[in-house]
Amino acid sequence: MDISKLTNDSRRSWTTRREKKARQIAKVQKLVNGQVIPTDKIVEALEALIMPGDCVALEGNNQKQASFLSSALNQVNPDKVNNLHMVMSSISRPEHLDIFEKGIAKLLDFSFAGPQSLRMAQMIEDGTVTVGSIHTYLELYGRLFVDLTPNIALVAADKADAQGNLYTGPNTEETPTIVEATAFRDGIVIAQVNELTDELPRVDIPGSWVDFVVVSDKPYQLEALFTRDPRQISEMHILMGMMAIRGIYERHNIQSLNHGVGFNTAAIELLLPTYGESLGLKGRICKNWALNPHPTLIPAIESGWVDSVHCFGGEVGMEKYVAARPDIFFTGKDGSLRSNRAMCQVAGQYAVDAFVGSTLQMDAYGNSSTVTLGRLAGYGGAPNMGSDPHGRRHSSDAWLNMITGESEIQRGKKLVIQMVETFQQGNKPVFVESLDAIKVGQDAKLPIAPVMVYGDDVTHVVTEEGIAYLYKAQNEEERKQALAAIAGVTPLGKESTADLKQRLRENGVIAFPEDLKVKRTDAKRSLLAARSIDDLVDWSGGLYEPPAKFRSW
Amino acid sequence: MSVAFIFPGQGSQHPNMLHELPKHPEVDRTIKEASYVLGRDALELDTKDALLSTVAVQLALLISGVALARVLRYEDAAPDIVAGHSIGSFSAAVVSGALDFVDAVSLVELRGKLMEQSYPKDYGMGVIVGLDEMRVSILTEQVNSVNDPVYIANINTYDQITIAGRLSAIEKVFALASSMGAHKTKILNVSVPSHCELLSGVSKEIASKLAAISLNNPNTLFVGNCRARVLRNAEDICKDLSDGVANTVRWHDSATLMYERGVRLFIELGPGETLTNMAKKEFKDARCISALNSGIESSCILIKREREK
Repeated sequence: MDISKLTNDSRRSWTTRREKKARQIAKVQKLVNGQVIPTDKIVEALEALIMPGDCVALEGNNQKQASFLSSALNQVNPDKVNNLHMVMSSISRPEHLDIFEKGIAKLLDFSFAGPQSLRMAQMIEDGTVTVGSIHTYLELYGRLFVDLTPNIALVAADKADAQGNLYTGPNTEETPTIVEATAFRDGIVIAQVNELTDELPRVDIPGSWVDFVVVSDKPYQLEALFTRDPRQISEMHILMGMMAIRGIYERHNIQSLNHGVGFNTAAIELLLPTYGESLGLKGRICKNWALNPHPTLIPAIESGWVDSVHCFGGEVGMEKYVAARPDIFFTGKDGSLRSNRAMCQVAGQYAVDAFVGSTLQMDAYGNSSTVTLGRLAGYGGAPNMGSDPHGRRHSSDAWLNMITGESEIQRGKKLVIQMVETFQQGNKPVFVESLDAIKVGQDAKLPIAPVMVYGDDVTHVVTEEGIAYLYKAQNEEERKQALAAIAGVTPLGKESTADLKQRLRENGVIAFPEDLKVKRTDAKRSLLAARSIDDLVDWSGGLYEPPAKFRSW
Repeated sequence: MSVAFIFPGQGSQHPNMLHELPKHPEVDRTIKEASYVLGRDALELDTKDALLSTVAVQLALLISGVALARVLRYEDAAPDIVAGHSIGSFSAAVVSGALDFVDAVSLVELRGKLMEQSYPKDYGMGVIVGLDEMRVSILTEQVNSVNDPVYIANINTYDQITIAGRLSAIEKVFALASSMGAHKTKILNVSVPSHCELLSGVSKEIASKLAAISLNNPNTLFVGNCRARVLRNAEDICKDLSDGVANTVRWHDSATLMYERGVRLFIELGPGETLTNMAKKEFKDARCISALNSGIESSCILIKREREK
């Protein structure tokens, strides 16, 4: 074999990416002071550093936004910078889509577009945005290391020093993932920072991974998304929480878990120290969490239920509390939280026993979706955590508990639990014949219907009527019967009969509160360990500092 | 963040509405210009009797919206984006700089007359509360036939939808809607089946009148009714204004589009608070006010403060 014939061009350069980077950086030497881009030169610098058609990762997730850099990118001259391929986990700010209207960007890979979901749908329909794919978070992060490697990363940090070392603190989130993918394949990393300082509290991203820093005109945008005011937890939420604790957490011995951000899950967090305690479950369930620092978890932590919490991101107001509980949270030498969205997604998908979420619509087979007609919100992280990772090997009681067959080769299952009230606000039934997602997918010409959690991954559904143990259903028909039996007076629920319900109860495929020894009349707000934000502050010994919009005083 | 001026449609009018506009040279100028085009005193349009005519209603809404916007602009309080519901869209087009007010007055007078003459009886509009667009469209498609036409006319909020067509068809849709879980169904006091293809003749006549008028590219972002898009040039706005009368008003989408584009202050220019209340319900962190009810002075302060954020 003559290898020289197989190598198509002996003169091929193997360093084109490196050379391109060097050329781009050389162009800004007159603008910058070492690694620092002056604040008022950022637009000019971006025009020099970014080439038409470049793949640009702009940091923006559902909490932290590189808002100074996104607004600077929106000000570049489209004659100089255009047709960019944007890779972003979340489309949140108006300028994230303005850049497509101006022609600065053309192609988009993203996960979540909730705050811009109408424009997203319109711009795809109008051809203003061409979508590569709509991903789950982990797929998007993974693809950064496969075929969506950025030429440019625009990220946000709290502080930098003159060497470009970054401190991202509690809100580290996805910064390390984006920077790693960019830096190690000769992309250019630009970080906006709230301030430059001589000494960082700790280094979250080493300076050798970062090309430029720029001090932003105002701090990056940060949303408090995971704060649920206990005042809004209803007795129905409490009843469902009690059922979940007895009928699922206790029964399957759930040690590790991720919670969604609904009021149902907030209710569970606040029932552990009271109702859970009365059942003698402390130390037996709910010890390890993949979860943002939910303020509603404070009472469970304070009363000794929780061993560990790893976080996707921070939560505004929880900084001091987290820093004071380093045995529980992952914290740095400086004492503050270290979050990591990609790692926590991995943990939430692969390592925990259970995911507990909620949805707006569920069909008769347990498929669920949160989409509405004419809106394209994408996915985010729920589909990662709300799925059973089939390659999992490590066993736990809960995982093994899901085995139902007799075969010699068996694997367990992650518990995927959906908690829904049978009707949404406005009297809209949650249980439907067919998901709106099907029509939305067709209208938007998506290759697949935008289903959030697939029915075959769902092991349990909890409503105010009872629990359906879907993993126990023998076949599709029985799954449907089990769901109908707890679907209340929705059209699906009306298909069920008293006889059918009785048979399903006897077979353990469904359970009503009385089967679980949960008394409906016990579901009172007085059972909650905290009934207001003020109570949470008290539980935290004054360490939790709720943002203004949650304060009642 | 940014500021939207929004202009209400038919239904928001009330007697004396033009006389209740603030005392301001810009209001006087607007009334004077309108009176000149109409060949009669525009202030006579807002009596209880006069407002029985859709022509007077549409003209009064146009005059009121434009007058208020001019007052605010005179006080250096300008919007970033504008939109109007149905007839309100003509006010928005004027305020965006796309359409001259003088042309708008004669266009709206024609539009009102054509609509008044289009369907003398048996037709009208009704509102359904509690079902979304997807569900109402299933029902209208099920009932709609050549003899019993019915269509979605306005999507006001995600669960407040008006339908237009033959009254018998509207009643059939109502019956189905109630069994599907609608909270409320009500026939509106309107004799014209607006915003559906029954008015395509009216739409064509407005288009030919518009063809003789020269529009400008807008100097402020303008959101159209038919597809709830920002329209950036004269031709697109022209088409949206003439198509509007025979197409669904996608107000819920228009308002959402403005919100997603960064609007956190919605100011309704015209009588009543219909659009203000819809926006309040949907956008919890936005401020929504009626310029008339809040007063010009505080509207100006809020506008300037919002635009500095």
